[in-house]
Amino acid sequence: MLFRMAWRNLWRNPRRTAVVLTAISVGIAGCVLSMAINLGVMTGMIDTAIRSGLGHIQIHADGWDDNPELEVRLTEGEVPFASALDSIPEVRRWAPRLQAQGLVASARASVGVSIVGVDPERERGVSVAADSIDEGEWLGEPKRLVLGYKLASRLEAEIGTKLVISAQDLGGELTGQAYRVAGIIRASSRDLDDGLVFLRLEDAQSLFGMGNAISEVVIVTEDRERVGLIQQKLQSSLASGSEVRTWEQLEPLLVYMVQSFDSMAWIMYAAVFIAMAFGIANVLLMAVFERTREIGMMRAVGMSRVRVVAMVVLESTLVTMIGLGLGVGLGLVGVWLLRDGIDISTWAGSLDDYGIESVLKPSMRPRDMIAPLLIGALTAILSSFWPALRAGLAKPADALRRI
Amino acid sequence: MIIESIDVTKVYETRGVETRALDGVSLALEKGEFTALAGPSGSGKTTLLNLLGALDTPTSGKIQLEGVELSELSPSKLSELRLRKMGFVFQAYNLIPVLTARENVEFVMELQSVPAADRRKRADHVLERVGLGGLEEKRPLEMSGGQQQRVAVARAIASRPSIVLADEPTANLDSATATRLLELMAQLNREDQVTFLFSTHDPLVMDAARRVVRLHDGRISSDEVKESGRT
Repeated sequence: MLFRMAWRNLWRNPRRTAVVLTAISVGIAGCVLSMAINLGVMTGMIDTAIRSGLGHIQIHADGWDDNPELEVRLTEGEVPFASALDSIPEVRRWAPRLQAQGLVASARASVGVSIVGVDPERERGVSVAADSIDEGEWLGEPKRLVLGYKLASRLEAEIGTKLVISAQDLGGELTGQAYRVAGIIRASSRDLDDGLVFLRLEDAQSLFGMGNAISEVVIVTEDRERVGLIQQKLQSSLASGSEVRTWEQLEPLLVYMVQSFDSMAWIMYAAVFIAMAFGIANVLLMAVFERTREIGMMRAVGMSRVRVVAMVVLESTLVTMIGLGLGVGLGLVGVWLLRDGIDISTWAGSLDDYGIESVLKPSMRPRDMIAPLLIGALTAILSSFWPALRAGLAKPADALRRI
Repeated sequence: MIIESIDVTKVYETRGVETRALDGVSLALEKGEFTALAGPSGSGKTTLLNLLGALDTPTSGKIQLEGVELSELSPSKLSELRLRKMGFVFQAYNLIPVLTARENVEFVMELQSVPAADRRKRADHVLERVGLGGLEEKRPLEMSGGQQQRVAVARAIASRPSIVLADEPTANLDSATATRLLELMAQLNREDQVTFLFSTHDPLVMDAARRVVRLHDGRISSDEVKESGRT
C-alpha cells in the first residue's frame, strides 16, 4: 500500500515531478560524464607513463633507490632473471635496460640527457618508443641512436646526423662515443620527446664499461590492478640483492596527481549531491505542506507516524531512483557519444608535458558507478527525512484544522 | 457505555492568550446511539469530538473508551486505538485522492492487517451498502461530493469500529444530498447498531439525531433525548 501510494503521489503533480527528475538526471549525467572523462584522463596519464618506459614493475639492485648510479647494478645480466620472470604467467613482457646520465652534443649544441641502453626487440614489448618513430627507424645496427623530436630540434639533428655522447663510466673516467641518428621519436611524452637517448644495450654497456651488467629490468604485466601481487611473487622468486618496485612506488608524484584529480572530482560530486539534496528536500516540503490535511486525516484514522514517515521517504527514494537511472543512462549515452574523445589541443597543447593526451577520452568501469549511486540514494533518503518527520510528527487535530 | 468524558477542560494557548474551548464537560455515550453535538461556531463541539476521538488530549479531566483511560496512552497507542476502535468522517479531505473508492475503503483495513481477500470482499460489500456498487474503481475526483462522503462512511464502518465520529459531514453538501447521507447513516445505525456521534450546526443532522447535546461557550447547555430521530 505504501509503495502504491508513494508511486501515485509522485504523479499528482507531473510537472513538479518532471522538474525534479530533470534536475536529478542532469546533475547525475554531468557527474557520470565528468567521472568518465576524469577516469579517462587519469588512466591515460598512467598508461602514458607506463608505456613511455616506466612499465608496471621494475627490478633493480639493492640500494638503487637511494643511489641510482651505475655502481648499483644487476651484474648477472638478464639470464638469471629470465627463468624467474618466465615462470610467472602474469608477466606479459620484460626488457633489460642500462640507464645513466650524460651529455649529447651536435655541431651546434649540447644537452644533458638520460642515456638508455636497450634490447631493441624486448624494448618493443615494454614501451612505445619503438612504435613512436616519426622519422627513420628504431634501433637496428650498432653505433646508432634514437632520440625525441624536441631534443633533435634543440641539437639541430636529423636522420644520419653524427652526435657525440660523453659521460662518466663505471670507473669514474670520462668516456665518449659518436653515434648516428637512426630514428626520431614523436610521442606525447616529455621524456621520450625531449629527455632520452636510446642506444643498443651492447653499445651502452661498452660506453660505460659495464660488461654484462644492467641497471634494471622493466616488466609489463597482464593486469595493472594486480601489480602488488605480482611484485610479491617476483620478490620471493628472485635471489637476494635485488629490489622489486611497482610503478606507484617508482612514481609517487604520478600517484599523487591521480589522487588529486580524484579528490577534486569527489568535491564536485559532493557539491552536486548537496544541491540535489536541497532540491529534493524543498520539493518534498512543498508536497507535504500541500497535503497537510490529507496526512492529518490519515493519522486520524490510525496510520502510525512511522508509516507516514516511511511513505514520504519512499516517495523521495522513488523519485531519486528514477532520476539516478535516467541520469546514469544519459551519462552513458554521453560517454558513448564522446567515445572518440574531446580534442583540446587547440588550447591545451602543453598538456603532454604532464603526460596528458590532448584528446580526452572518457573511460568507464561498472564498479565506478556503485559509489555515486549509493551516495545518491543515501542523499535522497537523508534529504527526505526532515519533510518526512514534519509530516509524521504533526498532530492530527492540528493538521485537520489547517486551511 | 462506549465512551465518556469526565469533567473535561481544554485550554488553547496562542501567543500568550488562553482560550478555554471546553470547560468541565461530562458526557457519556452508549452503544447504538445516534447523537449530535450541536452549537454555534466556537461552542467547543469540534474540540469535544477531537478529544473523544483521541485526536487531541484534554488540559484536565478524563476520557475513557470502553473503560480505557485515554490520557494514560502514548501517541502511538492512541493511534492504534483509533485504528481499531474508531471510524471518522470529516467535513472535507476525507479520501486519499490517489486511491480508488475501493482502495480508500480498504485503507484502514490494510492498516489493521486484514488479509487482502477479506479486505476486498468487505470493501465491495460496504460500498454496495452505501449505494456505490459499480463505482469501486473511481477516484475521488471522479465522484460527486455526496459520493465521496458515502465512500468515507463506507471506510469508517468497514473497519468495524466501536464508534463513528463525524465532524460536520454534511457541511459541503446540498440539502438533498445531505438528507440521503443522513438516511444512510441512520439505516446503518438501525440495522447494524453502528454508534454515531456528530459534530454539527446543520439543522438536518440535529433533526435526524435521536439525542442532541448542545454546547455553548465550552459547556453543555442542554442534553435532549428524542423518542426517535426524524429525517
